[in-house]
Amino acid sequence: MNSKRIALLLLLTCPLAPVSQAQIKHIEMRVEGMT
Amino acid sequence: MKQHLGRQSGVQSVEVSLIDGKVDVAPKEDGQIDPAQLLKATYDSGVTTAEMDMTASGKIVKDSSGNLALQVAPNRPFPLVGNDLSKGLESLADTPTTVTVRGQLYKKGADKKKPDTSVPLKLLIVEVQKKE
Repeated sequence: MNSKRIALLLLLTCPLAPVSQAQIKHIEMRVEGMT
Repeated sequence: MKQHLGRQSGVQSVEVSLIDGKVDVAPKEDGQIDPAQLLKATYDSGVTTAEMDMTASGKIVKDSSGNLALQVAPNRPFPLVGNDLSKGLESLADTPTTVTVRGQLYKKGADKKKPDTSVPLKLLIVEVQKKE
C-alpha cells in the first residue's frame, strides 16, 4: 500500500523536477546601433 | 538581429525593443543556450552589445585555485567576479544547494567594439533571488 502511494507521489512530482533544475532562465542585453 | 539570435541553439524566443535598445532572450529548457555565442551572433548581425545580464540557477562550485563559479549545466561553469554577494555564497560551494541569481555577464569597455569570446564570461552577481 505504501509503495503504491510513493509511486503515485513520484509520478505526480516528476513534471515539477525540471523547474528546479540548474539552468539559464533569462538573458537580457542592452544593445547599441540597432535600427 | 532577432532572426539571427532566434537561430542560435537553445533559444526559445527573442523580444527586441527598438525604443530602449533592449533584447530579451528566453532560453529553451534543453540547456543548450550559450551566452558567448549570443554575444558573437549579436556582433555578427551588425549591432554592438553594451551589456548582457543573465538570470540563472545552479550550484556554487570551487575550482582547484579556490575560485567560485556558478555551475548551470554539467560542463558550463560561469566564474564569479568577487564581490560581497559572491562572498556570501562561498559557504554553499560544493553543496547540493541550488541558487538563483541575477548578474552581469558582459559590459562593453570604453574602446572595445568586438566582445572577446575567447575568454570565459565572468558573472558579476547583482542579486541573489533564491537558495534552495
